[in-house]
Amino acid sequence: MELDKFQILDLLEGYQKRQFKPSEVVTKYLAEIKRRNPSLNAFLHVNETESLRRAKELDEKMGDVEKMPLFGVPFGVKDNFLVKGWRMTAGSKILGDYVAPYTATVVERLEAAGAICIGKTNLDEFAMGSSNENSAFGPVKNPFDLTRVPGGSSGGSAAAVSASLCPFSLGSDTGGSIRQPAALCGVVGVKPTYGRISRYGIVAFASSLDQVGPFSKNVWDSARVTEVMAGYDGRDATSARNLVPKYTDSLQRVSLKGAVVGVPRDWVEGLDGDVKKSFETSLELLKTEGAKLVDIKLPHAKYSLSVYYLLATSEASSNLARFDGVHYGARAKNPESLEALYNKSRGEGFGREVKLRIMLGTYALSAGYYDAFYLKANRVRRQIQNDFAEAFKTVQCIAAPTSPSTAFKLGEKTDDPLTMYLSDIYTLPLNLAGLPGLSVPCGKDSQGLPVGLQFIGKHFDENTLFQVARGFESARGSFALPRWSAEGGA
Amino acid sequence: MPGILAPMLTKEEVLKIGRLARLELTPAEVEFFQSRLTRVLEYVKELDAVGGDTEGFVRHVPKDAVSVREDKVVNFANIAGLLKNSPDTEENSFRLPAVLEGD
Repeated sequence: MELDKFQILDLLEGYQKRQFKPSEVVTKYLAEIKRRNPSLNAFLHVNETESLRRAKELDEKMGDVEKMPLFGVPFGVKDNFLVKGWRMTAGSKILGDYVAPYTATVVERLEAAGAICIGKTNLDEFAMGSSNENSAFGPVKNPFDLTRVPGGSSGGSAAAVSASLCPFSLGSDTGGSIRQPAALCGVVGVKPTYGRISRYGIVAFASSLDQVGPFSKNVWDSARVTEVMAGYDGRDATSARNLVPKYTDSLQRVSLKGAVVGVPRDWVEGLDGDVKKSFETSLELLKTEGAKLVDIKLPHAKYSLSVYYLLATSEASSNLARFDGVHYGARAKNPESLEALYNKSRGEGFGREVKLRIMLGTYALSAGYYDAFYLKANRVRRQIQNDFAEAFKTVQCIAAPTSPSTAFKLGEKTDDPLTMYLSDIYTLPLNLAGLPGLSVPCGKDSQGLPVGLQFIGKHFDENTLFQVARGFESARGSFALPRWSAEGGA
Repeated sequence: MPGILAPMLTKEEVLKIGRLARLELTPAEVEFFQSRLTRVLEYVKELDAVGGDTEGFVRHVPKDAVSVREDKVVNFANIAGLLKNSPDTEENSFRLPAVLEGD
């Protein structure tokens, strides 16, 4: 079995035909992780015993393949998700040997559907970063080129799927942390609508922006994982009660004929080079397949970076207050006062980017600056939302680049925070507006590095996103990922 | 509403923000954050130019994503698992170091 070519549907078909068993599949993936993870650093921990135990349990239930939508499908989760009894680091030193006392709702739902969690993937500390270079456990490498970043913050999850170390994985997306690494690693990544998927059991970064979503090798796989995870959860007060369609049902026969796709010309003006070329080629392809392209305007989208770095940091400064050596986190030794205990524990435990963002947020919320920073950002956030609402009066979805560049070199953007933050200019506005977005590989640059195309949908209309992206994907044709035996690769 | 200034933060201001944020900073960090914070604060100044903000504050996006559950006490099932993460416990409680100041 050529597992590195396998997508979820192939695994399910193989099980249905009794060609192999879950334990054989898991054993192969575990062996490949052992072989390649030392160079990729995509997984922080792999739970061999537990995943094999689960797989053997499923070996005995082969008759349930039809009933369980993810029967025997292994997956990795970003290490800011809780899995009961497993270590959880959030990519930070401050959590020390923290062991999760319960399991995130999404992981529970996936496991109930037959999926097997095999390990926790690397990430930027507390999901703050766009390159994975802020992980306290070393950066993840891009499977296409080990001298380059996989994107971030869910870089480990993106690289794991790109390198075929698991057929799908989970990430969290606060400003682009699923879509941007998906684009840089040549896989599909989805950030569903805010409220669509429960966040219970995921470390909070910015609560008005965070959302959970999948990485996979194709659109159908992401649709399947999303439909299993989505839906109301009483343990997350921001989870919506809206009905969840069975997304995969509408992917049987997909046509782009008649689809009305908005193109935000003013917003993508600054784009250049190979990413621009790929984007234009993709638009042509959509047109050839029968989609109607409509120019739209998003005049405030260009302010997203400023709005995001005031709001997300403000929320983070509050959410991360709990890591103080008392409520959570490694406790500093011999503090002379309670304040010193907090300050030392946090000073020793957090990395620089996390400290920077906590300080930015603290500043934006502090007396005398609140109106000028936090409140102002919130007002512009409303205008960004209004722009999208206006655009969606005439279009079904919007096409945009996922990231302005392809995978960059490790260390290339670490000197200036703004240069790094700009990697997310096309993904941030969706989080600010709560909209769903999906990144699908659309081409490669002159160096063979993947480029992502982003589709943006209306609130709770992931269905249209999956359909349009699936239509685009089949028109595009197959997209080559690094193979297991690749020479010179990972 | 006062506009956003272009503040070149002083070292004292960085230390003050650090204290408010409950972060002990090394001298090297103070310098590092002084330039980084200033850089970002300068950038976000662009928001000053955005007008027409009549509708105001965003609370929840989208509006469907608010669902308060019934106000009923639910016991957490894995108390032992919670306690395991503390460096020091006694029966069903976390033990903390004595940090009271003064006499």
